[in-house]
Formats: sequence, C-alpha cells, structure tokens
Amino acid sequence: MRALFSRRLISRRSLLGSAAALLGSTALPRLGFAAGAVRLVAAADSEPRQLNPAIVASNGVFFIASKVIEPLAEASYDDGGLRPLLATGWEGSEDGSSVTFALREGVSWHDGKPFTSADVAFSAMEVWKPLQNIGRGVFANLEAVDTPDDHTAVFRFAKPMPLQLIANALPVVSAVLPKHVYEGTDIAENPANAALVGTGPFVWGEHRPGEYYLLRKNPAYWNAGEPRVDEVVFRVLPDRAAAASSLEAGEIQLAAFSAVPLVELDRIGKVPGLEVVTKGYEALTYQLVVEINHRNEHLKELKVRQAIAHAIDKAFVLDTIFLGYATAATGPVPANAPEFHTDDVTIYDFDVAKANALLDEAGFARGADGTRVALRLLPAPYFNETKQFGDYLRRALAAIGIDATIVANDSAGHQKAVYTEHAFDLAIAPTVFRGDPAISTTILVRSGVPDGVPFSNQGGYANAEIDRVVDEALVTLDPGARVELYHQFQRLVTADLPLINVADWSFTSVASDRVENIATNPRWAVSNWADVGLAD
Amino acid sequence: MPRLARLVLRRLAGSVPVLLIVVVGVFLLLDSAGGDAVDAYLVSIGGGDAALAEELRARYGLDRSVLARLLLTLGQLARGDLGWSVALNRPIGAVIAERLPNTLWLMGSATALAFASGSALGIVAGRRPGSAIDRLLSGGSLMLYSVPSFWLGLVLAVVFAVRLQWLPVSGIETIASGATGLARAADVARHLVLPVAALGTIYLALFLRVMRAGMVEAWGQDYTLAARARGVSSWRVALNHAARNALLPLVTMLGLQAASMIGGSVVIESVFGIPGFGRLAQEAVAGRDAPLLMAVILVSAVMVVAANLAVDLACGWLDPRIGSGRGGRG
Amino acid sequence: MIRELARRPEARVGGALLLLLVAVAALAPALSPGDPLAIAGRPLIPPLTDPALPLGTDRLGRSLLAGLIHGARTSVTIGVVSALVAVAVGMAVGTAAGFAGGLVDEGLMRVVDAFQIVPGFLLALAFVSVAGPSLLVVAVAIALGAWTGPARLSRARVLSLREADFVASARVTGMHPVEIAVRQVMPLALPPVLAVSSVIVAGAILTEAALSFLGLGDPNVVTWGGMIAEGRNQLRSAAWLSIIPGLALVATVVSIYLVGEAVGDVLAGRRRR
Repeated sequence: MRALFSRRLISRRSLLGSAAALLGSTALPRLGFAAGAVRLVAAADSEPRQLNPAIVASNGVFFIASKVIEPLAEASYDDGGLRPLLATGWEGSEDGSSVTFALREGVSWHDGKPFTSADVAFSAMEVWKPLQNIGRGVFANLEAVDTPDDHTAVFRFAKPMPLQLIANALPVVSAVLPKHVYEGTDIAENPANAALVGTGPFVWGEHRPGEYYLLRKNPAYWNAGEPRVDEVVFRVLPDRAAAASSLEAGEIQLAAFSAVPLVELDRIGKVPGLEVVTKGYEALTYQLVVEINHRNEHLKELKVRQAIAHAIDKAFVLDTIFLGYATAATGPVPANAPEFHTDDVTIYDFDVAKANALLDEAGFARGADGTRVALRLLPAPYFNETKQFGDYLRRALAAIGIDATIVANDSAGHQKAVYTEHAFDLAIAPTVFRGDPAISTTILVRSGVPDGVPFSNQGGYANAEIDRVVDEALVTLDPGARVELYHQFQRLVTADLPLINVADWSFTSVASDRVENIATNPRWAVSNWADVGLAD
Repeated sequence: MPRLARLVLRRLAGSVPVLLIVVVGVFLLLDSAGGDAVDAYLVSIGGGDAALAEELRARYGLDRSVLARLLLTLGQLARGDLGWSVALNRPIGAVIAERLPNTLWLMGSATALAFASGSALGIVAGRRPGSAIDRLLSGGSLMLYSVPSFWLGLVLAVVFAVRLQWLPVSGIETIASGATGLARAADVARHLVLPVAALGTIYLALFLRVMRAGMVEAWGQDYTLAARARGVSSWRVALNHAARNALLPLVTMLGLQAASMIGGSVVIESVFGIPGFGRLAQEAVAGRDAPLLMAVILVSAVMVVAANLAVDLACGWLDPRIGSGRGGRG
Repeated sequence: MIRELARRPEARVGGALLLLLVAVAALAPALSPGDPLAIAGRPLIPPLTDPALPLGTDRLGRSLLAGLIHGARTSVTIGVVSALVAVAVGMAVGTAAGFAGGLVDEGLMRVVDAFQIVPGFLLALAFVSVAGPSLLVVAVAIALGAWTGPARLSRARVLSLREADFVASARVTGMHPVEIAVRQVMPLALPPVLAVSSVIVAGAILTEAALSFLGLGDPNVVTWGGMIAEGRNQLRSAAWLSIIPGLALVATVVSIYLVGEAVGDVLAGRRRR
C-alpha cells in the first residue's frame, strides 16, 4: 500500500513537472507595447521558407521583405510607371549594351554602413543573375557592373537589352542587398536571409513561426518624415476564414492579397469601420489560363481548341466564381498592362452550338453515351478560384461532349504532373503577369523550355512564327516597335490558341478605415509602406 | 523507482523495431509521391528555371538515391538528431518543440475534460440502468459519439464566436498581446474552449458509455449485491463498487484512444487555425519533407507508446484483484 | 434475429434510417438524375424558398439536395469498401499469424503494432496526398488505419481454434495447412470480426468526411465532407451549406451505431442463454 501510494505521488509530481516545462517552453519573452507606439497589424497567409527578396522574387516574400529591403525603383501610377527608390535615375545607351543607374546619396544600411554602388554591383552579379528565380532570365546576358563612383552603377550586357524591359522588371528583380553582410558567405544560407538587413523604412524585429513577424520603424530612413507608423506586425493567419473575423474583432487592421474570401466582401464592406479596396494590385495581375497538352491527338486540332474556347461562359466565371472581382481576358496580355495590351485579337464568344459544330467538323462525333472525347483535367490547387473553375470547366465541357475527369493533386504533385511529366490533357493555371510580357506570359507559349520549369510551356506547343516574335521583342530597343511585336504576339496566340486565357484578376484588400494611404501604387501590397499611417 | 524505470526502458526498447517499421514506411511513402521538396518550393516562389531546380536538389541532397537519403536520416535519428527541414528551412527539433505544446494542451485538456465529465455522467447513467435519466444520457451520448468533430467545431464557432462573439474564432492566443502570466494563461484558455469542446465531445460520449457499461455489468456481481444487502446506500455502492469496477475498462480505453485522438486533433487544428502538430504534418506532406513527416509520426508514435505504458501502470494499481480486500470478490 | 431486433425501439429507428440511407444511395441516379455537380440554378439560394431546389444551392449554383443524395452514395460506398478491405486484410494477416505461429506470427504482429501506434488519420492523410484522391485510394487509406482490429481479433480466435479437434483431424487427413486455415478456421473466426464491422463502417464514413473536409476527397464525386468544407467560407452568410450535410452525416453514423449496438446486444443475449 505504501509503495502504491508513493508511486502515485511520483507520477503526480512528474505530471506537474511536465506541465511546468510546457508552460516554460511557450513563455518566451513577449513583445510589449512601447508607450504610445503606433502599430499596424496585417494578416499574412504564409511564412516563406526564406525571406530574401533578392533571391526569391515572389509576392509572398515581397509582402513582408519589401518593407525592409528596397529595390532600385518601385511601380507608380505616374507617367513612366516607376518611382525612384535606391536609384534616382536610369539611362540606356543607344546600342542597348548598357544601362547607367544614378544611385541615391545619403542612404545607409540598417547596421549603419553607407549604401554604395558596390552593393548594387554585388547584388546584380552575385545574387540576381546567378540565384534569383526571375533575375536568372532577365540578367542572363549581364556581363559586368561597373562602378565609376560610389553613386553610379553601369550594367553592361552581352546582347542589346531593351531599357523598357529593364525598367518594367526593376520593381521585381532589383532588391539590393548589403555587400558587407553577404560577401564571402554562402549567400543562399546566410542568416540575414531570415533576419533581413536593408535600407527600407522598417527594420527587422523578430519572427515567431506560426504566429507573427514584427518590423520596427527605421529612425534613420533616407526619406525624412517616413515611415509614419512605429511598428508593422504581420500576423500569420493561414486560415482564410480567420482573416475576416480578426478584422471585425479589431485584432488586425489590414488583410491584403484577398485574405478575406470573395464571398465575404459584400458583407464585410458594410461593417462600420472597415472598407474593401480593390485598387493597388494593377501590376500584380493573375491570369486564369487553360493550359493545353498539344501532344493529345484531339487537342492538337485547332478546331477542338476553338470549341473549348467557345464552350466557356466567361460571364458565369466572372459573376459566379469571381463575384465580379475580375475581368474577361481577351488574350495573353491583361488589360491592366495598357502599355502592351490590345483588343484587336480573335474573340471567342460563349456559343455551345458553334462549339459542337466545330467538334463535328473536326470529325469527333458523339458516341452512344453522348461523349466524343475523354480528357484529364488538372486544376492548380493554389487558389479556391482555380479549383472552382475546374469544377465549372468540367461541366462546360460535358455540354459539348467532352468527358473531363478532374485529377486533383497538391501543389508539389501538380507541379510534377503538369510541368515535368506532362501527365495532363488540360490544366488550369493562375499565372502572374509581371509587368512585361518578356518576363511572364511569353514563357507559356515559347517552345524549347526544358522539362520541370513551373508555369511555362510544357504542353509541347511549338509555333515558329510565335517564337520569332517573342525572340525579336527580347532584343528590340525601340519601345514602339517592341509594343507592336507584342500586339502581334497577342493576335497570334488568340488565333492559334496554344492556351486559352479566360479571366484576369487581381486581389482585394480589406482594411480598417483608420489605415491611411492604402493603394498608393499598383504594387502597393508588396511596396515599402513608408507613407502608410494609422489614424487614432 | 528502479523497477519502474526498468519497465519503461524495456517497453521503449521493445518498441524500437516497431518504430523502425513506421519510420521506414513513412519515408518510402512520401518518397513515392509525385513531386519532391524542390517542386513544392518552386511552386511557392512562383517558378524558376530548370537549372535552378537542379541546383536546389543538389543543395538539399535530393539528387541522391532513396537508400542513401533513408540511411542518412536513420543515422541522424539514431544519434537523436531529428534533422533539418527543407520545407521550413529550420531544424526539425526546434519546430517540433514549438508546435507540440499547442497540441498537447489541446489534447490534454480535451482528454481531461472528457474523462472527468464522461465518467461522472456515466456514473449518473449507470446508477439506475433503464431509468429515464439513463435513457436520456445513453441516447444523447450515442448522438454525440456520431458527430464529426470538425463539423461540431464549425457549428460551435458559428454560434459562440461569430454570432454571440463570446469566444475567439481561431488561433491559440491573441497575437502579440503582450500579456504574461495569468492573463496570458486566461487568454490561451479562452482560445482553447471551442477546440477542446469540439475534440472532447466525442470522447466524453465514449467514456460515458464505457463507464455506464462497466457499471451495468457490476450491478450483477456478488460484491455489489452483498454491499447492498449490508444496507450500504445505493450512491455509495455505485461509487465505491460499481464505478470502481468500471474504471479499469475506462482507463484501458484511454490508452486505446490515444492514437485516434492525435488524428482527431489534426482536423480540429485546421478548423481553429491552431499551429500544432496536425498542421505540421500537413505542411510536411505538402512540402514533401520526408524527414519532417517522419519526425512528426515518430513523436506521435512515442506519445502513443508512452500513453499506453502509463495506462498499463494505472491498470496495475486499479485492478481490484491487486488492491486491498474491498468488496467480496477476494 | 430480425424479430428480436424489431422489438427494440432503438433498433427500429436505426434500422429505418439505415434502410432509407441505403435506398437513397442505391437509387441516387433515379432520385436525382444527372450530374449532381451540374449547375442547377442561381448561386446561394436559401433552403425552402425554391420548390424546384428544395434545399437551395451552393456558391456555384449546384443543388444541395442532389449533393446530399449523391453524397449518401459516396459515403455508403466508402464505408462498405473500406470495411471490406480492412476486414479482408485483417483476417488474412490475423489468420496467417495465428496459424503459422513462431517467427511469422512475431513478425506480422510487429507490423500490426506499428500500424496501431501510428495515428491512422495521419497515415491516411499522407497516403491520400501521395497517391492522389480517388474513391479507391481514399478507401484504402482508411482501411490502412482500420485493419489492425480485425487482425488481432481473428488471430486470437485462430489461436483458440488451432488445437481444436476438427483441426487436428483435418491435419491427420493430410489437408494442406493453408486449406485448413481458409476453409475450416477462417469461417469460425469471422463472427467476432463482423461484430465490430459496424464500428469500422461508421469510422470509415467519418474519416472520409474529415479527409474531404481537408480537401482530400475525390473531386469527381460529391462528398458530404467536401460540401461542409465548401460551405465553410460562407459560414456567416450561408451557414446551411455546412450544417445540412453535417446533419446527414450525423444521422447516418447514428443509424449505423444503433443497429450495430442492437445486433451486438441480441447476440450477447443469445450467448448468455
């Protein structure tokens, strides 16, 4: 009996002990309120595995990192489309072999060292060109960066480089890293990829995985008077339903990148103190695309592709799936890029009878069960809308006698199935338009892309005429001529349908009406927020 | 307690081959998936060229053979090192240490609550089998036992968090609230109310039923009849004899349910956005991070083994045949 | 047996519900012709407002009633197929282990142990993510976590039967051990396994719903769990989208438990007599 009793005592004590250990492990120091500090709390739906925007040019990284590490220039609603940040001006040589950047003076890194042209040269040659997912393409022909003085950087290219392309790419590819922090280290594994060092309006604070990121005001920011808030906190909320309730509860003041589901916008827009903002994403347009595997004996027939285009009711897609927060696509360049967009293309109206007639003409008659062709349909799993469009497309195809089976994969599985193994007939992709066709939409139709490249032409499509136009635009220096080539590109693509563009959409923000200066540029969510304020 | 320590050690050593089977099985399963960690990563960053993918594969050792990677991971595990998570770019041990407490709080509170209230209600129901209150509780518990926990969680969230706004919708605590000590504990407790209720209800129903069944059985036994014949009050007989008899199967059930409870918490964590173990498992699968998934499953398995060991020990004390001469079974 | 069951009110209620469910599942194509995933009307029609669409429509305008009816078919199919796979695999392993004994028994039971200490839901989650969600994959994934019970039960039964006279006499007549196992022992090991099969079926239906809720259901068929998940984004504005399929799930599982329990009670009563 005694033994029994003491045993029990021990077990109770150890239980208490482990409970205390648990409490201890989570009771790390909390961030307290600085007296009177103005804190903006925004929702973040993901935690990128590393945050260095010079290595990973993606919206998920920019959303957080752009407040700390700045690019040479940011997108702007003003003429020219760019606002100078670390560069104050840029000029291309006549022959397109070099671009000269004048750099901002009086800028210092968060650790106090001065920002100079050496940092830009280092970033370009050691990071953007060899390591960055987008920069590896844009700067493929970059030979050297000369630094005649501390505030001039001259980019020298092996082949003519259109200034228009460089300028359009700047907000995405040109995040500048401090050379003194990265030089001589394994750049991809440098600890500063997690605890960022930049020149931006906010200084790195801390990251609690699964909970939040904290950024603090940079008191020595080069633009005096900015930033206007003391702290920016990104609260990790991977669950989309949570963003809306957190806004309503006042726990966060901003949910960008459509963190609030479309179906909630109508209701939440009427909540006092909250507003829905659709501006500020014009340069972050996503394209809803039906990718086509041209190796399929049916899909390689133009008439079949035309029939599919005619079978899609874009009005339904816009009204029901996107609830009006999207526009119908005319072709591979969205209307949000007015510089390159043209309406003068082949348009496919919603016309089921015509679609059926086209399939009959192509010689694919309906079988006894009403089915002409059976296809595999792989909707990308990244967005609710791509999955819903998959459900819709399956129904729309059934109406023209195409029996589509949805093959569901998670992200990695989808990437492998579509872009490496080509195990699809139709796929649905949300591709990003990155401000210039050369660095986005053209890769979806240009032939000769190796296997395994995500969001590229893996459908086996090859069209010499389109390839020629794409390649020529890459080296055409005259902006007008270059735009004309891309108009031609849109006409060719809509006529031959290597893929079908269905809709273009951007994101929405929901914010407290206390937040000032929302959507001040077309890449606002991924810009530096130096002028964002929070009213009392 | 050297005897106890030996017992624990022996049990853990005995489960090594089983854990090995688990670990190798999980590794091979995830390895056969479409796409690897680099594919998952490239999608998350919006793409990159083919050479980049190859460079990354080489960097993370994903270009090596399955066997080489498996042996490497097993070697690390043998040294007590859970390894490095490619998907999260952090040491796995640290990630687990961060997530496990949230899940343990959720599961621990749900178990404790379900056990306490389930057995109490079971005693009420089992005291007079066939009575109105018994029928009500038995019927009600069957209903509750049939409710999918994730759906119950949604319904509770709609009612108490959205409509009535009494409790938070999601999360484990108010982010960056600055609260410490008791205030923080109260905050966590508030966040846990709905998830614990959603997860615990099904077990409450289960424990109620087991307790009641054990008591019903006990009422026919000699020792309860004898006690009643001695004129002991019916409540006392119920508590001291019948319920005591039912406690053994109840505790056994606790051990049997340990694994299913971890599984159940996966869905509940998803419903309430709790950064716990379940979500970590999902992230590991989505990121094709075999070492991370192995670690998650390994730690779960160790937890199950430990729970069962604890239950066995508890049963040893509870078994009336071992205890002092209560009742008439002797 | 049926008569004994019919005397129990809970068995009558459960049986009626279960029959209704099975009938709906079997007759789904007749009750609700056409593809339940087809767009039937305006999106988000509330229930009981449109006679043509009595339960209203979801976000894309698909009929909720058609979804419920065809979802019953999915649930019943998954429940039965997973239980069949689990029982078949479990009995095969359990019988083999019990009959062979020695190292084979030891090895097989270690595997059973391994499956028992891993949370079955985690395993199913990983398996479906890897193999891709189709009905068969989901059924197998669920069976992965459910076959150990039948394996243990049948092994225990086989162990107690192994030395029975009729087995010994079969050995004497020179029957092959595998034949003895399959023809003489397995049928006797079946009843205790079947007794727990209602729990396996109910568990399978709940697990499928949870998997679908996490987005791991077959996208080509309607599942109740998937319907609940889709309704989740509209919990504030259209809670019925999640509530109604959830109620169907509860009714289904309750009916299976009621019937299973009543059958168990009747069998136990007979044994006592």
